[in-house]
Amino acid sequence: MPFKDHRDFIETLKKTGDVIEVTREVDWDLEAGAIGRRMYEMGGPSIWFKKIKDYPEGFTLYNGSLGTWRRVAVSLGLPPETPVREIYRTYEARIEKPIEPIIVEKKKAPCKENILLGDQVDLYRFPTPMIHEGDGGRYIGTWDLVVTKDPETGWTNWGMYRFMVHNKRWLAGWPQPTSQLAHQMKKYYLPRNEPMPVALVIGTDPIAHMVATAPFRLEEDEAKFAGALRKEPIELVKCETCDLLVPAHSEIVIEGEILTDQIVPDGPFGEYPGYRSGTMAEGVGFRVKAITYRNNPILTIIALGVPIDDSSIAAALTAGMAMKRGLNHRGVPVIDVYVPPEGVTHLIYVSVKKGGTEVAKEVLDFFTARRVMVSKVIVLDEDIDVFDSGQVLHAFATKCHPGRGIVVEHYEGRANSLTPCYSPKERERLKGASVAFDATWPPEWLPEIIPVKASFKTIYSKEIQEKVIQNWKSYGFK
Amino acid sequence: MKKEYQTFVRQFKDLKEGTQKLFIKDLTPGPRKYDTKYVRAEISFNPEKIKDGDILRIRSESGALLPQPWGIKILEELSESVPGKPWEDVYKAMKKS
Repeated sequence: MPFKDHRDFIETLKKTGDVIEVTREVDWDLEAGAIGRRMYEMGGPSIWFKKIKDYPEGFTLYNGSLGTWRRVAVSLGLPPETPVREIYRTYEARIEKPIEPIIVEKKKAPCKENILLGDQVDLYRFPTPMIHEGDGGRYIGTWDLVVTKDPETGWTNWGMYRFMVHNKRWLAGWPQPTSQLAHQMKKYYLPRNEPMPVALVIGTDPIAHMVATAPFRLEEDEAKFAGALRKEPIELVKCETCDLLVPAHSEIVIEGEILTDQIVPDGPFGEYPGYRSGTMAEGVGFRVKAITYRNNPILTIIALGVPIDDSSIAAALTAGMAMKRGLNHRGVPVIDVYVPPEGVTHLIYVSVKKGGTEVAKEVLDFFTARRVMVSKVIVLDEDIDVFDSGQVLHAFATKCHPGRGIVVEHYEGRANSLTPCYSPKERERLKGASVAFDATWPPEWLPEIIPVKASFKTIYSKEIQEKVIQNWKSYGFK
Repeated sequence: MKKEYQTFVRQFKDLKEGTQKLFIKDLTPGPRKYDTKYVRAEISFNPEKIKDGDILRIRSESGALLPQPWGIKILEELSESVPGKPWEDVYKAMKKS
């Protein structure tokens, strides 16, 4: 049975030992963020802060929904100790069978237990944390799900974009200009100078949030993929002020519109690459028209930063699978893709059936075709287990030719401005470069000249291997 | 008791003394801390130069704090937002290159 909401998920995490409840008062101003950050860096459990300074009882914060592979496994209904490879396989198999969402009546939607409209709207009702010292403000949208729609095609996009409290009725955000939200806005709303309806969803089924991080193709509704991963349809309910549909079991839903003729400052913010790297911008202005929320709302957050945290873990899975689909679609002979969380989607491992410079170029072309979130790709032969960074590093160190094994592409207007090594000038123009490291044997090399890997499994015959394994204990080893 | 505000600039040298329009964050403790206002204000490198002024803390685009705060006197509260189109700053920068 999938989780019906975030509360249900927390109950299960209690049983698996993956959540700690903090009952002493914690300050929303830096203290909660610092605790959450330290816990990520210790590889510890998620944290439910039950008493927040300045806020009434029942208004709580929850950090770290999917901050470890254990919690990702639990969210998919798998045992917590499931290996990463198996989590990938489960995701890959389920995502092939989309399940359309169902729409429920308002009275069956817990997110409608409290409704604030018009002048009643006050974003300061919620204990939005100041996550890092020096951030541009209090980010209410970190572990969120942002719903927007293309009115011409009906395509509803879910994305995970940061949003900061600007004042009691406005949010500021900076969805990248290459994002799908920006695509919808540029295609329909900006040419007409019409505000774009938007709903920011906080604290719903963890799988829905995870799916919001996935780079599905344009025109693909994420809601049906959330259903696929849950193996049951997700329940949606109509917003109060527009026709957008949001998960009915959400903790908090902020409805409003992004204006096409007004801007507000956004950032800087300590972001998912693990730095606060000049990510200050003329942000989009989100004017709030309504807030609906459950009784005793739980505000889900990520104290974002150096990996591993929810962002790097969720993207490792969702982006990895989307990349594999995309490479397959392009005809690249891909075996596996792994996005090591430590590489924060800047570094990708791709293993292929047949390598060589041409294949490395094809791989790089795929990653640089539209919006570019990836700056480094290591292309590997199929004998390398991409889920084992030790094997990848060894192949990279020994098989990537420092002269002819490196393919670079430069571009402008579609780079990921959150890439810390880019200069301020490069960031403001979305100018960047990506590189593929070809760590495969050249396909033109004859089999008899290919260096033999000196490992137990590759440099000894089957007979010797079996003999040694069979006699292992008799040598006096355990 | 002087109030404290905070503003962000790309680089510290970008901030000029005199009467300026700028977004500031109110640092008054409590549930509304960090509320944003767009104001016309007199600001100075030397807080002593502004009569009945408040404190303005300044941070850079990466959040680095300027060690010495400036002084500020709010002359007028302006609108909540300013005219502009989303991502216009990016397109302008690309055109320049």
